[in-house]
Amino acid sequence: MLSLSAIRQRYRSRLALSLEQFEVGAGEHWLVLGASGSGKTTLLNLAAGLLRATEGTVRAAGEDLGCLGEAALDRWRGRQVGIVPQKLHLVASLNVAQNLALAPWLAGLPPAAARAAELLAALGLADKAGARPAQLSHGQAQRVAVARAVMNRPALLLADEPTSNLDDAACAAALDLLQSQARDCGATLVVATHDRRARERFEKVLQL
Amino acid sequence: MNLAAMSFAYLRARPLGAALNVLLLALGVATITVLLLASRQLEQRMHGDARGIDLVVGAKGSPMQLVLSAVFHIDVPPGNISVPEAKKLAAHRSVKQAIPMALGDSYQGFRIVGTTHDYPAHYGAKLGAGRLWGGPMEAVLGAEVARASRLAPGARIVGAHGLGGGAGGEHLHDEAPYEVVGVMAPTGTVIDRLVLTAVESVWEVHGTGGEPEEYQEFTALLLRYASPLAAATLPRQVNANPHLQAGSPAYESARLFSMVGAGVEVLQGFGVALMLAAGLSVFIALTNALEERRRDLAVMRMLGAGRGKLFGLLVLEGVLLASMGVALGLALGHVATAATGALLEARQQGALSGLFWLAEEWWIVGGALLVGLAAALAPGWRAYRTDLAGVLAEG
Repeated sequence: MLSLSAIRQRYRSRLALSLEQFEVGAGEHWLVLGASGSGKTTLLNLAAGLLRATEGTVRAAGEDLGCLGEAALDRWRGRQVGIVPQKLHLVASLNVAQNLALAPWLAGLPPAAARAAELLAALGLADKAGARPAQLSHGQAQRVAVARAVMNRPALLLADEPTSNLDDAACAAALDLLQSQARDCGATLVVATHDRRARERFEKVLQL
Repeated sequence: MNLAAMSFAYLRARPLGAALNVLLLALGVATITVLLLASRQLEQRMHGDARGIDLVVGAKGSPMQLVLSAVFHIDVPPGNISVPEAKKLAAHRSVKQAIPMALGDSYQGFRIVGTTHDYPAHYGAKLGAGRLWGGPMEAVLGAEVARASRLAPGARIVGAHGLGGGAGGEHLHDEAPYEVVGVMAPTGTVIDRLVLTAVESVWEVHGTGGEPEEYQEFTALLLRYASPLAAATLPRQVNANPHLQAGSPAYESARLFSMVGAGVEVLQGFGVALMLAAGLSVFIALTNALEERRRDLAVMRMLGAGRGKLFGLLVLEGVLLASMGVALGLALGHVATAATGALLEARQQGALSGLFWLAEEWWIVGGALLVGLAAALAPGWRAYRTDLAGVLAEG
């Protein structure tokens, strides 16, 4: 499902990530654990096609990302990858339902209002469809970000630091949410974090 | 979800900025629209009033003043000409028709014109009520005069010396009232704003009625040429007479427009400058909005949006702002023209209509949309080149 090999990712001559081999099977749940600056976010960005590998090969969801042009890469990402960024990045001027509607629209897929309603109900956000991101608690906003990431039933679900600044209960809830949603849509899950509390939730761990 | 809904959502999220940009653009569009509507209607009205009149003959002075006073009725005449001289000219072989005109008085600001039945016939004017004047001291009101004064056949009116209509303390001819015998139907020409009567009425009011014809005077003669050749010869012959002057309505109105036109062009230039300033403002607003939204645009890329879609989003936003500005500007321009028209109507200076669409207004629409489009291009290009991972990492 995901394969990164011989990666030497440089950012303005600085080596941001050095990785010989990282193989992830379909449906597996992986934790990428490492200190700040170890290259976790770079790894996720490479896997999502948000960054081009300066050296090495990235294959994901059946594609060699280095061979895809910009438009094809955008289209592939929209349909195959769900991303929960660390800062969540909900669009402030749109309400919750519109934030979810963005995912299929931008990926060029048909509208999926029923899917959005189903996800919001499953995540306990049915009454927040018309709310703006600024009106949500952090936990609610995080659930919306996860719902947006799984709207298009991606093959690969990536989450960057989903537990930072959360207490133990919230940390467990966030990881539960990601793992259950990944299971529900049969996605491969890769979570990158420096938070060692997540360690016990994953059988497969990559230490950077 | 679609591009337009997204653009609207962004505009709604910053209503004040969007409203100010729309207003600025609207003011530019409105300025150009008012100038265009007013100058074009004025031009059409002047052409309509001067249609078919080849030459105006009156007393020596300024030919433009002669034409303005005898054709458009917006200036005082330079003087009078003797009836025998006028009749001699009317009988000239180069003249097909000569319509005499005796001016001097007005009623409530509307000019009283002593003339013959040929004058309303020249404009194709028809009676709306009553009949044309038969003898002295019978008057027929133009449609606008009747509407403003609310008079009908049977009423009596008193003329005032000059064009003030008595409001400015001018001498009122109480001793010689007119009887209104008819009202003309609207023509859309100068006739609507005149009180028509026989030439003899004007003579009588001014105390020369009944005197021999050689002592009587006309103010002007409106001439139609018998042949195109007359245009080359007759004006020169008239001007050779020490007492007469010829004025060509076509030439003088073109001269007037070239003089007034410079001012109109300056104002139109001002309107274009306003529109360009608005375009610059839309550009700055979109650039600032892009800075605020770099993260949102990166998120959209993250969700699979192609660069073209983001580019389209910003361009559509610029065009949306411009469309709203154009729509508001055109509405403001037409309302302002109608308001100016109402003001002029109250001063008996002829009305402008706001319910008037010119083909040139499509150029304004196109120009303003182009301004919005151009203003969105640079921010759109920057959005197109957004560094995805970098912006997402900024948070």
